[in-house]
Amino acid sequence: MIINHPLLGPRDSEEFVYLGAADLINRPNNWEQDASAEDFYQYQYIRENIAGDHRELWYHEQGDQSWLVVTRNTLSHEIINVELAQDVSRGIGRGK
Amino acid sequence: MSDYELVVESALNGAEHEFEGVTVSEVVGKSLVMVALPRPKFKEIESSMTKSCGLVLPEMEHSTQSNDSSITLWRLQKNQVLAYFSYEGNDAEVNIANRLNAPAYYTDQSDTWAMIRVSGPRSRDVLERICPIDISKNVFSVGNVSRTIMEHIGTIIYRDDDDSYVLLTMRSFGVSMLHAIEVSAKNVL
Repeated sequence: MIINHPLLGPRDSEEFVYLGAADLINRPNNWEQDASAEDFYQYQYIRENIAGDHRELWYHEQGDQSWLVVTRNTLSHEIINVELAQDVSRGIGRGK
Repeated sequence: MSDYELVVESALNGAEHEFEGVTVSEVVGKSLVMVALPRPKFKEIESSMTKSCGLVLPEMEHSTQSNDSSITLWRLQKNQVLAYFSYEGNDAEVNIANRLNAPAYYTDQSDTWAMIRVSGPRSRDVLERICPIDISKNVFSVGNVSRTIMEHIGTIIYRDDDDSYVLLTMRSFGVSMLHAIEVSAKNVL
């Protein structure tokens, strides 16, 4: 598989490490409240098993060490979109 | 103060091998220092480097050179550059910090890398068998630098001349990388 890195261009997937669903970006902010237990349970364990377009985190370990959000079709392995996780995180109003 | 001094030994003992159209040799006499760039200071760092030795921050996977060509900066990550320069002393970190005179963070990495030069008219033929990125003449130009994986070994590749490439691997993988290049050369040539 070739991942089209937003800064570096096309790179072999061998250079990357796969982490999992991009939901991990949305870490609950309410850890001081009672409701946080349920939110963290959802955040940590509950995943959709998507047959189709799936947004996931990849780490460019053997490259520029950036985190990417890759949209990949789990049926065909076609890679539809690649974004810097930093930009995605900022786009939804989260920290750095 | 101790009464002895540690003497640096090169990672590959000055290895040099000749093949038809390709020379594989260890790069000696070079130092490598990581220069970490705090994000709010990019502009300040760049203007300091420009003032001290004519350097600008390179674009990703590109390099820039100082006015006297003695210092090369490689940009392999957004928030850091690697300074590759001619120096053999034990205090490369202090040396480059003084020469760049920029408010960045410096870490000497000289002895943690094995540096191998693959040069000659058939160097690309040898490297394309083990390098997953496109290093064809017009795509990977002189001055381009990239971090990738070759034979399962994390490697930095830098094109320093028309037919010359410098490969860097972690020091402990130096012998394995040298072997991989030699096997490729024997297969291709």
